[in-house]
Amino acid sequence: MWEQIKQALTQSTARFLTRFASLLPGLAALVVALIISIVVAAILAAATRRLLAGLQFEQRLARWGFSSVPEWSPIRNPTLLVSRAIAFLVVLAGLLIGIEAFDAEWTSLLARAVFAYIPNVVGAAVVLLFGGIIARFLARSVLIGAVNMNLQYARLLSVGVKWLVVVPAVAMALYHLRIAQGIVELGFGILFGGIVFALALAVGLGSRDLVTKSLERDAKKGSTETIEDPLRHL
Amino acid sequence: MASESSPGQEHEALDPKANADLVVGVLADFDANGIAALCDRLRMLPGSLRIGVMSSDQTSPAPGGSQHPETSSSVFFFPLNVAGAEVPGGSQALSLFAAYQSIFAASEKLGARGCCIVASHLEPASPEWVGQLAQPLLEGNLDLLVPYYARYKFAGLLNSAIISPLTRSLYGKRIHNPMGPDLGVSQKLFRRVLEAGQNASADTIHPLAALTPAAVCQNLNVSEVHAGSRLYPPIDWSNVSSLLPQILGPVFTDMERNAACWQRIRGSVSVPTIGNPVFLPPDNEMLDIGAMLESFQLGNRELQEVWGLVLPPASLFDLRKISRLPAERFCVPDELWVRIVYDFALAHRLRTITRDHLLKSLTPLYLGWVASYARELQAGTLTAEQRLERLSIAYESGKPYFVSRWRWPDRFSP
Repeated sequence: MWEQIKQALTQSTARFLTRFASLLPGLAALVVALIISIVVAAILAAATRRLLAGLQFEQRLARWGFSSVPEWSPIRNPTLLVSRAIAFLVVLAGLLIGIEAFDAEWTSLLARAVFAYIPNVVGAAVVLLFGGIIARFLARSVLIGAVNMNLQYARLLSVGVKWLVVVPAVAMALYHLRIAQGIVELGFGILFGGIVFALALAVGLGSRDLVTKSLERDAKKGSTETIEDPLRHL
Repeated sequence: MASESSPGQEHEALDPKANADLVVGVLADFDANGIAALCDRLRMLPGSLRIGVMSSDQTSPAPGGSQHPETSSSVFFFPLNVAGAEVPGGSQALSLFAAYQSIFAASEKLGARGCCIVASHLEPASPEWVGQLAQPLLEGNLDLLVPYYARYKFAGLLNSAIISPLTRSLYGKRIHNPMGPDLGVSQKLFRRVLEAGQNASADTIHPLAALTPAAVCQNLNVSEVHAGSRLYPPIDWSNVSSLLPQILGPVFTDMERNAACWQRIRGSVSVPTIGNPVFLPPDNEMLDIGAMLESFQLGNRELQEVWGLVLPPASLFDLRKISRLPAERFCVPDELWVRIVYDFALAHRLRTITRDHLLKSLTPLYLGWVASYARELQAGTLTAEQRLERLSIAYESGKPYFVSRWRWPDRFSP
């Protein structure tokens, strides 16, 4: 009996070592791929930092309305953020290439699933980017317009408009990423519907007199000149 | 065929073969008597002149009489077709731009030696000054005649606060109303403006903004004509924000185009004047500055992040200090106001933020300046002329700051 146990152990050890040995080339390829991708990532990150510094990326970001990037990002420097993101992507690509080298079915499936997900990530990033740009543009337009109309709640209006654009953009991005789609749809519907319903109630019940007076004032103003003639100011 | 004016005869379209010595574009809404008085004065111009009058008024019949018995000058009418006025939702500035372009184009087509634009009702109403606007053009002495309006203290404040002193500082000519709107333009000058308009994109050359700088930069002869005070309904100070992009946008754009010219100019000189100054009755108008102060303070509270992209920290700090002053001591120093205007002009060039947002965000600052100006005048220490002369000198003193920032924007970036 001891002979049989010894034989079983020998065979299982041999199988394990054989399988482990068959993985060694793949492992070596993974390590090499990682090393190469780390070196390439470092070079690309350095080149990106130089390029962005030359293009005055941070000043341009501020002009485009993204002056608050350093506030919400743990990396306070936008140039560093972009260069590190590029480095991360290159290392991730190296890791996936290394995993593909194992030539096992499960590693292939993993790599394919990751690559198939990339368009969703890109789509979500584009939606967030454009949503952010549009939100900031509209928020600034509303802020300046409301201040020029002497509205004391100009800032509140501006923030409200910004979030009215940002919330759908985030919901669309999450939808693209296929993250808890049912919850996102339901949550967004409730939130947005609630906001619109609350506004309708506020205007209908709370601001009825104000709206009436405003409409009466506009009706009276309609009969007199409302457009300011630019030549008067010259 | 453009018609000689006779009773009951309607306006006709411009005949390509017609010609004229002088074209007068009437943009002000004169009644039939006003047009008749204008035509009578034009007919008194010496020489056998053919004078074309362009008017957008298509409903009134052309005034009677075509020729003056002594001078043999004749007047004919043709319509002012303004494309911009037909555009739904088109702004007034857009239709003005189109009107001036139409008048220049018609003058070019008719081979006129000059054109005049009459856009204002004046007090006292006298057609004499139209002759003073037209005659020097026909004699060939002058290329641009701009009006020197007699002014009440709160009239034309955008011109007084920004346009006139800025023109004086940049181009070295003390012109009180560089943007007219009543103007006399020689053939040489309107041809150059038309050519520049064809070379540049259509919406970057605004005739009103481009004329004076073009005349000065090309060393043409510029004069001022004394005129009465312009008449218009009271200004709605709550409705100013849409005007700043319409008026200042073309001024700043033209400044960018003429940068090579104005950077070399130092100091300023007066230009010759024609006619006698018109004296107005004492002006006791009072301005309610409460709403303007409120707008200024609200702007200070809410627009810091926008102004911070345009103005340096020192200016922002000064503005915050000023916004805390009580109404009876409220004052925007000239040096600060001048730096603000220059910084906004630079930001317009650099497109730091959308140009429309930029110029609209200037509104609370402009209203703050108006409130400060009104309070100082109402305190009675200075007359309006003295106060505005002081402001013009501040603009000239601040020019080196502006030139430095223009040449090296990154070095002084806020």
